[in-house]
Amino acid sequence: MLDEPYRWVEAIRNRREYLADQLEGASPVVGVCYTDGVLLLTSTPGPRKVFEVYNQVAFAGVGHPADIEKLRKAIIDIAHVEAFNLSASDVSLQRLVAFGLGPLMKAAFDEIFRSPHIARVIVTELDPSDPLETFYTIDADGSFSPSGAAAAVAGTVDSAAAILAYLKGRDGSGESLTDALARALDAWAVGRVFAAREADKSSEDDEVAPTTQDDLATAVRDALVSGRIEAAVLDRRMPKKTKFRLLPAADIEGALARFR
Amino acid sequence: MDSGDFLSILKERGQLPGAAEATQAVAQNGAPGMHTEGTTILALRYRDGVLVAGDRRATAGNVVVYDRAAKVLSVDDRSVLALSGSPANAYEIARLLEISFQHYRRTQLQELSLDGRLRTLSRLLRDNLPMAMQGIGAVVPIYITHEKDGPQAGGRIYFYDVLGANFETVDFCTTGSGSPIIRGALYFLNRWERPFVERDEAEALRLVLQMLETAAEFDTATGGFKSTAAIYPQVMRVTGDGITDICEADLATHYAHLQVGG
Repeated sequence: MLDEPYRWVEAIRNRREYLADQLEGASPVVGVCYTDGVLLLTSTPGPRKVFEVYNQVAFAGVGHPADIEKLRKAIIDIAHVEAFNLSASDVSLQRLVAFGLGPLMKAAFDEIFRSPHIARVIVTELDPSDPLETFYTIDADGSFSPSGAAAAVAGTVDSAAAILAYLKGRDGSGESLTDALARALDAWAVGRVFAAREADKSSEDDEVAPTTQDDLATAVRDALVSGRIEAAVLDRRMPKKTKFRLLPAADIEGALARFR
Repeated sequence: MDSGDFLSILKERGQLPGAAEATQAVAQNGAPGMHTEGTTILALRYRDGVLVAGDRRATAGNVVVYDRAAKVLSVDDRSVLALSGSPANAYEIARLLEISFQHYRRTQLQELSLDGRLRTLSRLLRDNLPMAMQGIGAVVPIYITHEKDGPQAGGRIYFYDVLGANFETVDFCTTGSGSPIIRGALYFLNRWERPFVERDEAEALRLVLQMLETAAEFDTATGGFKSTAAIYPQVMRVTGDGITDICEADLATHYAHLQVGG
């Protein structure tokens, strides 16, 4: 059946629709730079979503927890085999994505008779050789793109775009972790509110209403009722080889206090 | 279920250094005439933790190949591997061990237990057995760790034989070609002078430096302190605060106190 080009295209289209449907309600992950490193922030009902991959590389994803786990395990394996065969300094985000995770997700997406990875992924590297490649986002079909000062993955492409529009124009230089947490949390809430309004639209032509501070506060409070805010940093001040640090609840509380 | 075993991943991908292939090559071509070896390494428990030291000489037969070899390598934030034997295999084992522990921590989201770490090193030595049996790649490590909590909390010293069996030692451990020379002296001092665990760092460190000098005096494969070339032994402290190198300036002060000119 899939020998026919039309059937193939139809199957791929169905797959995209299925993935969009599955990912629609996902809580965004926001990545921003700040003075001492890089911050990833999201909300979760329980399972962890932000992880260490290698000394200077971190990973987060939205989607099905089992698929996020599979992808997390895959990128960690690739990074450590690379570190063993070459050296720790040869583990770079660009190579992990372009030759590792991207093709892996694309292969799963293209195998029509098997389930694709129901996940969108954001990965980040502290001080990459090219500052415009601090973040990579990878879609469920394996397509990936780099970015410099900020990045986001969300349930819909448009809500991720709304987050990036909110973060536009700030590169995080001179910004403390406390300020970066507040900014990332606001951006996360912008994405959450945008996605909810998008879902409520009666037709494609309707405009999504502008977001107010009250909307953001409500989104954060809702997230705290059903789960918690999770954040981690790659902090260049860490005295160890590994720069990853999962932020304890007390460190995030400062950013949350104004919403409580 | 994923066990987080990095060695299995390398084996599945055919990327683990092939002891079998090396053995086959040796069987076909004969063992190379010279391979680097020879060492004195020493670990002893003192009041605050464990001091780990190694001389810097690498030899091949009667030839000194290198006088600044590093034989004490930190594996993670709390443990150290001190290596005697063939440097090529020893470094590879240390490297594999370090990456295995990192991989486990990152995939499983928890630290590998002490028993798990000891077992991983046993497996690596077991995999190295064909090389050891050929007489070209034996590695005899000491694994030193400082556990934060649990029944095994505190400084611990484990030594291995070439087959991978591991044994815990309470007070001190020394391996390498120079070790038989100082082993009796260490036993005597610990038992009849003053137990090492009662000594402070300065006292323990001076004892370690004296022992390495003694080994170097009688074992040509052990290098001594050379002030003219600034060749110092490697000494690390493994305590509850982590692992730190004892810097050359501090070692120089202690050598001066001991009146060892080098």
